[in-house]
Amino acid sequence: MTGVPRQPEPPGDDELAERFRAGEEAALREAYDRYGRAVLHLASTTLANRSDAEDVTQATFVAAWLGRETFDPTKGSLVGWLLGIGRRKVVDRIRAVARETRVVETVKQLPEPVPGGPDPDAVVDRLVVADELARLPDDQRRMLELAFYDDLTHQQIATVTGVPLGTVKSHIRRGMQSLKRRWEVDGVPPGPRPAGLPGTR
Amino acid sequence: MSHLDHDRLVFLALGESEAAAGESAHLDTCELCRAELTTLRHVAGLGAETQGLGNLPDPPEHVWQGIVAEIRAAEELPALAERRAARPPAEPGPRVAAAPAVSRGGGRWRRWAVTAVTAAAAAAAGVLGTVTVLRSGESDPPQPAVLASAALSAYGQTPKEAAGDARVLGDNRLHLHVANLPEVPGYYEVWLIDPGTMKMFSVGTLSKGSGDELLPMPANVDLRTFSVVDISAEQYDNNTRHSGDSLLRGTLTS
Repeated sequence: MTGVPRQPEPPGDDELAERFRAGEEAALREAYDRYGRAVLHLASTTLANRSDAEDVTQATFVAAWLGRETFDPTKGSLVGWLLGIGRRKVVDRIRAVARETRVVETVKQLPEPVPGGPDPDAVVDRLVVADELARLPDDQRRMLELAFYDDLTHQQIATVTGVPLGTVKSHIRRGMQSLKRRWEVDGVPPGPRPAGLPGTR
Repeated sequence: MSHLDHDRLVFLALGESEAAAGESAHLDTCELCRAELTTLRHVAGLGAETQGLGNLPDPPEHVWQGIVAEIRAAEELPALAERRAARPPAEPGPRVAAAPAVSRGGGRWRRWAVTAVTAAAAAAAGVLGTVTVLRSGESDPPQPAVLASAALSAYGQTPKEAAGDARVLGDNRLHLHVANLPEVPGYYEVWLIDPGTMKMFSVGTLSKGSGDELLPMPANVDLRTFSVVDISAEQYDNNTRHSGDSLLRGTLTS
């Protein structure tokens, strides 16, 4: 369960992460083209204000670039790291909004802010799993999508796709294993939370 | 009974089959198998919620423009050491030798920005403004207006090599540069404090012990009152108040 040797990045991404860390400017644009959508999604589903969400997206990539030497590819993927930065910015923003609605003098007695939108951690988790799903071999992804989105049984998937039941099961098993490993590496671990948001997990 | 086959756990997690009596009995007593099943169920639940996430819309072009402009501005901010070093009186003429030292890779950034703008053919005024700023970068680096600044030094038991500086920028942001903060089990948090009353509020968190961070500030903060910048070590304890463990402090002057 734990201690499994992990290879969080598929080959193509390893190289992008390396170039990003080395400060190659084109790698920033590539990372943005690849993951800007996910970061914006994280921000726009958790923040009420669209321009706040865009600001957070911008700030995330700026912070990632300026702090690129702190990215450790052995600890997770580039997108996982970016989403982690985005998540902290979202939480900061939620707190700042809560603060702005109160008089500065009462700030010391601030109660826990109540987040208006979905839990940022849950959104990060979904994005991480979606990213891994997109990287699975086509067969595994197809079978899992039928199971997840269409709620088909393995037998039904076999019937719909014409793939033998045993093969369906093995694709699903392998796909689930990859999703799980990836979530363990890049997802937000349950437990103490840094930001003063009430836990929802 | 031995541990459940991993395949079985996957299928149970997906609701593909019901646990047989023996399996249920094992799950009731085996924490390992139960934890694995819980994780797999959680992942399967997340999987079911990913529909549509493979197909997200692109961020608007101005977000990218903002990233380029902000990084460019950040690279123009002289680092702590450079700023403290004695400088010759400002020479209005282009000091070609000095410019590349601060604007590393400036030429490439500028070319980028222009490419990006070309792509966004329907360039808005803001975008054109960005280009102008970037263009003028070589001979006359744009400096964001600094409303107030503070040198931050080690406070209390903090090792003396820890240091930093804080600058309140005109666009309601606080630029922090820190170096050699001691490692802490939790995280760093930035506060503005009124030294007269010790009232304070949090501006945000720092992700690392050395480096730069730009934090948004609430508008209308009276910097003459909230004049002390404080960086604290905070625990992951779900307590939003200042821990009392200050690492760096400094007083803003304009």
